[in-house]
Amino acid sequence: MAAPSPRSHLYRLLLILVVFGAGFLAVKQWATPDSWNYEHWYRGDAVVEAAAQPLVYGGNDSCKTCHKDVAKLWRKKPHRKVACETCHGPIVDHAKAGKKTAVAFIDKTRAQCLNCHLEGINRPRAFPQFSKQGEIGKLVPKHKELDAVTPCAKCHEAHDPRP
Amino acid sequence: MNKPLENRPQSSRPVIDAGGDDARREFLRNFLAGTATATVLMVFGPGVAALAQGGSDSAPAGASGKAAPKHQFAYVINVNNCIGCGNCVRACKRENQVPSAVFRTWVERYVVTGEGMYVESPNGALEGFSQVNAGIREKATKSFTVPKMCNHCENPPCVQVCPVGATFKTKEGFVLVDPEHCLGCAYCVQACPYGARFINPVTHKSDKCTWCYHRVKNGKLPACVTVCPNKARLFGDLNDPESEVTQIFKDEAWMVLKPGMHTDPTCFYVGMPREVV
Repeated sequence: MAAPSPRSHLYRLLLILVVFGAGFLAVKQWATPDSWNYEHWYRGDAVVEAAAQPLVYGGNDSCKTCHKDVAKLWRKKPHRKVACETCHGPIVDHAKAGKKTAVAFIDKTRAQCLNCHLEGINRPRAFPQFSKQGEIGKLVPKHKELDAVTPCAKCHEAHDPRP
Repeated sequence: MNKPLENRPQSSRPVIDAGGDDARREFLRNFLAGTATATVLMVFGPGVAALAQGGSDSAPAGASGKAAPKHQFAYVINVNNCIGCGNCVRACKRENQVPSAVFRTWVERYVVTGEGMYVESPNGALEGFSQVNAGIREKATKSFTVPKMCNHCENPPCVQVCPVGATFKTKEGFVLVDPEHCLGCAYCVQACPYGARFINPVTHKSDKCTWCYHRVKNGKLPACVTVCPNKARLFGDLNDPESEVTQIFKDEAWMVLKPGMHTDPTCFYVGMPREVV
């Protein structure tokens, strides 16, 4: 029987290294997503999937396609900054593919208006603010006769709320 | 007297003894030389490789790789206009199906008094704010509301710490999370100096504001910007000279949150009082 090569321990070590190296590369190949972006180090398909999330709010333009009359009224001061969906809720609850699916939401009580216009110390001074009872008698004499529940919308058209 | 020391297992402290000293010195010298060589190679290796490749080809390739993206989005929060109504928080919840008790955006109310400052965000201002307690109200010198959200930093610490590359910054400025790849380890939640990230209690993955990536890609504004009734939130493209955000930078003084963290946010605040943290 021939004596074993004096370097056999080295060959064995080399073999182990090669096996481990190949195993590492195989696992890495398997674990790396196909669309991996090596430049910015992320899965390329992630942005495609993120962009595919369904829209809930449509924006004013989607409302205007049907409600041209309201849009015209609304464009006047001072509620032109307020989007339709701020008060009416998202368009997915109301229409789908240009067809009405349900009546649009609107809260006609005073709470809807006071959500923004209730007086609060954190609100900017110039922003129109009213107390819960509508106590701005000093400014608007008509408000003196108000009770606590009469909706603001009884007198003010919300799309064009000028007195 | 020395006996206990002799019986002790050999410590890491070098023990001077005549026999093995030279061999050990040689070993240490070789070891240190090897370490130094490896360090030098690690530091200069890629650079040397790039230089070797370089020449006429490398410059144009680098220039085209760093070509300015078509859009460079930015978000502007005008604190002077925020009325604290909470419409943005509600819209964000609805648009992105954010579970209760966690928030991608929230609004904080600051009440500054001579004795100190009260900061609150009851349920993220989902239902707006109730009236301030009368005692505090009397003492208040000023009060304001500040919307908060992910700052989409230019240099995001959350992206740096992610061990698997599940969060990243796109060329257009969005810092996004890949929920498929995320492990939910929450390193990023700890790394964010703005507290903008959370682990989604439903998916158990990291979650945060995406600037409504799906909406912006479809030509819409983020949901919070869409419903804001007083133009406190603006979103736009800095590459477009006509966009609302570009206009704001022309004449308004702006600030970012925690500039000392060097995260370089692309969410800018206009009219932010110095009390805001």
